[in-house]
Amino acid sequence: MKHKQFAEGPMRALFFAAACVSIFFVVLICAFLLASGVPAIGKIGLFRFLTGVVWRPRNGLYGIFPFLLGSVYVTAGAILVGVPVGVLTAVYLARFCPKAIAKLLDPAISLLAGTPSIIFGFFGLVVLTPLTERLFGAGKSILTASLLLGIMILPTVISVSASALRAVPQSYYEGALALGATPERSMFFSVIPAAKSGIMAAIVLGVSRAVGETMAVMMVAGNSTAVPAGIASRVRTLTTHIAIEMGYAEGLHRDSLIATAVVLLVLILIIYFLLSLIKKEK
Amino acid sequence: MKKMQFTQRPKALLALLAVFAFLAATLAGCGGNGANSNDIHVLSREDGSGTRSAFVELFGVEAQDSSGEKVDRTIDTAEITNNTAVMMVTVQGDAKAIGYISLGSLNGSVKALPIGGVAASAATVRDNSYPICRPFNVVTKGDPLQVLSPAANDFYLYIISSNAKAEVDGNGYVSMDSSAEYESKGAAGKVTVSGSSSVSPLMEKLIEAYNKINPNVSVELQTSDSSTGISDTLSGACDIGMASRALKEGELSQGAAETTIAMDGIAVIVNPANTIAGLTKEQVRDIYTGDITSWDELG
Repeated sequence: MKHKQFAEGPMRALFFAAACVSIFFVVLICAFLLASGVPAIGKIGLFRFLTGVVWRPRNGLYGIFPFLLGSVYVTAGAILVGVPVGVLTAVYLARFCPKAIAKLLDPAISLLAGTPSIIFGFFGLVVLTPLTERLFGAGKSILTASLLLGIMILPTVISVSASALRAVPQSYYEGALALGATPERSMFFSVIPAAKSGIMAAIVLGVSRAVGETMAVMMVAGNSTAVPAGIASRVRTLTTHIAIEMGYAEGLHRDSLIATAVVLLVLILIIYFLLSLIKKEK
Repeated sequence: MKKMQFTQRPKALLALLAVFAFLAATLAGCGGNGANSNDIHVLSREDGSGTRSAFVELFGVEAQDSSGEKVDRTIDTAEITNNTAVMMVTVQGDAKAIGYISLGSLNGSVKALPIGGVAASAATVRDNSYPICRPFNVVTKGDPLQVLSPAANDFYLYIISSNAKAEVDGNGYVSMDSSAEYESKGAAGKVTVSGSSSVSPLMEKLIEAYNKINPNVSVELQTSDSSTGISDTLSGACDIGMASRALKEGELSQGAAETTIAMDGIAVIVNPANTIAGLTKEQVRDIYTGDITSWDELG
């Protein structure tokens, strides 16, 4: 007994230490961001920083409002494109898909999830951009970025909502059938409502993926600094803004980019707060 | 049965209808204004890039405002990229685009426009007739022949020799006059070169060619930007710095010295299908400040 306890102590400490690694880095990242970002926000002025519409660092104008708006627009567009397709795919996978097709569909989705974002970006640049240019005259725009991000969030939305749908007890579906509903109607009006919170969680995860995506968006969004005027106008999101200017920035310019990262972090925190609210409801 | 379903879910149905209506409306709207307009799609580099600052300065896009402050007047709806490759692929795929890149990166996928009737090429940069060019410098802390380590000195002598000249010209840049032939004195050791990402591709070629002659010196290339290269040189973090611009007052006063190893033109590029034959400096400026917005205005 005593020997057993002796061996258990260090191992417990080891596991605890391993668990602490992620916490340690989250805290470290937050501390670093706040320490270099908050003074910059103070210097620029929170209000001027968040609501300023002109970004011209060499003349001391640091307004990130266009990029904030850009992130919101592009993410909303991605949800509009990705969620209907994703949820319907999940329904198909969870209920109606024949085994032969599932054998094809499952690896395809996993492959889509594992594709590096630079490859999505390149695909967007050489395929999607000329296509939207020809069809809608949009080219690099909110539209193109939304389409691409919509595709990129598909695996997240599909896998999380499919597992939510599979978790609904079989009796819900069968009960609806017994009441005379068609298989489709049983699915849409009894199983999906039961899996609502899981599907919401899938959407929120998709949102956070879309907000955080950088590389692919940078290649298809056009990255202009103007306030976006419509769905066909070029747009810069918060993440691409940081990535695009970091290379040459120095002084307050650099600190203002870190401050942008703080804003992004707050945005992500809000999203995760929403997610935990949804989970609690469940 | 069908009717019941509709009345049961009026909200969901309405939302779905609204989404479709929205999509249809936006798509129709975009199709309407995109089909026949001949708007210029302006591409630029990110704020702070060496290529961008050279471009806005040389074309007069940058101007002093009423308070005497220099303002980069590049139109804010311009598409921004931090990557020459993306710039070229975009121009290649977009018949209405205009952009600019280093002459050394130019290839057949895009069309370089003559500026003021002078074609952009190594030859016109050399005879000073092409007006848009900038120096590629190597930076040392003091007189390079005195302060460098034996290995670094050996590499430096190669860079400024007539042997390197062929390498520079062969890669689309414009070499400086040099008559001294490089001769290896058998130096060995390690050299660190750091700085501008514009100079870096050329430096890479130079290192490759140099190691064929003298494999005993290993040259480590670190790519960042001009400012970093210069401050690394001053702090001693590297032996030789690379800068795609002339040194500033503050850097000279700290003892930095520059040697121009090549000149690089900046080419204004358009899609190969674009029928325009050339632009003047003023037209390029007006395009980038947003005073000219349509290809039709340029005839």
